[in-house]
Amino acid sequence: MGIFDNVLTGFQICLDPNNLLFCFIGVVIGTLVGVLPGIGPIGAISLLLPTTMRATPVSSIIMLAGIYYGAMYGGSTTSILVNIPGEAASIVTCIDGYQMARQGRAGPALGIAAWGSFIAGTLSVVGLMLVSVPLANAALRFGPPEYFALMCVGLIVLTYLAQRSILKATIMAVVGLFLGNVGLDVVTSLPRFTFGIDELSDGIGIAPMAMGLFGIAEILENLEQSLEAREIFQTRISNLWPSLKDWAEAKWAILRGTIIGFVLGILPGGGAILSSFVSYAVEKKVSRHPERFGKGAIEGVAGPESANNSATGSCMIPLLSLGIPPNIIMAMLFAALVVHGIQPGPLLIKDHPDIFWGVIASMYVGNIFLLALNLPLIGIWVKVLRIPYRILFPLILFFCIIGAYSINNSTFDLYVMIFFGVLGYLFRKFGYEGAPLVMAYVLGPIFEQSLRQSLLISGGSFMIFFTRPISGIAMGVCFLLILSNMFPYIKKYRQRYEEFEE
Amino acid sequence: MNPYDRVTGLFWLLLSAFICIESLHLGVGTLQTPGMGFMAFCLSVLLGILSLALFLKTIFKKEKGEFSSTFSGTLWKRVLIVVIALIIYAVFMPKVGYLISTFLLMGFLFWVVKGTKWWLALVYSLLTTIITYYCFSVWLRLEFPEGLFRL
Repeated sequence: MGIFDNVLTGFQICLDPNNLLFCFIGVVIGTLVGVLPGIGPIGAISLLLPTTMRATPVSSIIMLAGIYYGAMYGGSTTSILVNIPGEAASIVTCIDGYQMARQGRAGPALGIAAWGSFIAGTLSVVGLMLVSVPLANAALRFGPPEYFALMCVGLIVLTYLAQRSILKATIMAVVGLFLGNVGLDVVTSLPRFTFGIDELSDGIGIAPMAMGLFGIAEILENLEQSLEAREIFQTRISNLWPSLKDWAEAKWAILRGTIIGFVLGILPGGGAILSSFVSYAVEKKVSRHPERFGKGAIEGVAGPESANNSATGSCMIPLLSLGIPPNIIMAMLFAALVVHGIQPGPLLIKDHPDIFWGVIASMYVGNIFLLALNLPLIGIWVKVLRIPYRILFPLILFFCIIGAYSINNSTFDLYVMIFFGVLGYLFRKFGYEGAPLVMAYVLGPIFEQSLRQSLLISGGSFMIFFTRPISGIAMGVCFLLILSNMFPYIKKYRQRYEEFEE
Repeated sequence: MNPYDRVTGLFWLLLSAFICIESLHLGVGTLQTPGMGFMAFCLSVLLGILSLALFLKTIFKKEKGEFSSTFSGTLWKRVLIVVIALIIYAVFMPKVGYLISTFLLMGFLFWVVKGTKWWLALVYSLLTTIITYYCFSVWLRLEFPEGLFRL
């Protein structure tokens, strides 16, 4: 079947009323969590993961993906109107978006953010469609050493791009890999680290863990601050259709943002957050008037918003074609597929074309839904922003409880969620990040399996990771990354030593 | 640098020692035939090295933050109260039943942050409990514990 036949099949699947409803629910929830600063897409996906267990795999992934790219759209609204990013990928949008709103140009700012997101999101899905299939075909030749090496790159880049300490992020990744060991052994099927608790035989549930680390922890962190009402910029939102002058200024920023987002989204550890920052930096650099940035430059809104939406499409490439999630959100989608008994990887496109093409088609449709939701209905989202947090937080907390309980109808999952919630809160207080832990936890079982299989193949020699071309290159990248991180320290200590000698 | 790094460094060090001992019990195996505890053993060694590095970093680096700075000035007691409420809910929900325990928990959560009147918190709580019960239990057919009072 040619690519167009596949796309047509995808649209047939996506336009099924049930899947269409899931897509709509996904983008609405995504926009909602994007608008609300109290909860991000990771929290929302982990919260809704248990509810998708009763749906078909296609519907589940369509909805969860919708939450992700929907949140990117919604995030810009709070950044522009309140100067508070609804989610991390919209942080840079605050800089120029809020300034535009202050100058009475909230409409064009919201408009260009939505149109930029739409254009970038759609182009990125085209790229996803074109790149995934050849990459999956190439990945069919990958063996355990290649997978192990690629996962090493993913984990190292993820810790390398940590917002706080790299050392602490690495500790988190190691703890996550260890938590992946809890449950039955991948080879012998005997229990390990279960401490006689039957519920732990299947391992620690990803949904209660993620809900605790991202949902509950976020709420607890917000609760320790005085919950004063947010001030929304009082302005009449008009002219949501950007003027020709705005388009002329923003068109190249949208295109550059799309390319930056697409490339960075594929890379492990990348994704929407990183690409929005890089796009802003690039726009400022290439601009003839960099002094306008920070004072309401439309390129400062168009570029990052396009980049973060483009990344949401391209970060699905490694997940769907290699089975390696490049970031935490994709790790959650990975878990959702595994829950439904589907192993993401090169065989996914061949064995489950309905999921692959259905999800791709749903992203086109979802982007159209989002444009309709975010431009004419902007007033509703502004009203949502006015809901006080003291009303919101009990509801979010309650949905976490229902979500965790409904997985197995067991209070054990509730305990797991509360435990990880407290742990996540303490992690935040002590400067640790939850993302490397969950990402490593999801990769843990495949990571261990590929390491053990590689050692069995090589008769115990680690050289297998260096003698095969793909794994060799990947391991080389790992060492380069580690060395590049250590180099500044070595340089600093040498400098100090020389000063001391003098 | 976080003022608690020394404490967390020690915690990770102890955890790594625990994992190491447990993995030895499980059987590390050999490089040719790795055992059940092989991966955990490797991870415990790595965690030990990393936590030691974190611990030593706090000794050789001059501390910038004050020890009490992480929690001071925050409403951490409110966090503690909410966590205790959640634990009580998890313990008593199967015994008391979904409807009563959820009504009490939600009422408490709506009330705990100042600004909501107690009667309004009860109304919100009642509405949330009834709507979610019909939504999840009747419509989505999730099974919730009925508890002692069969509610």
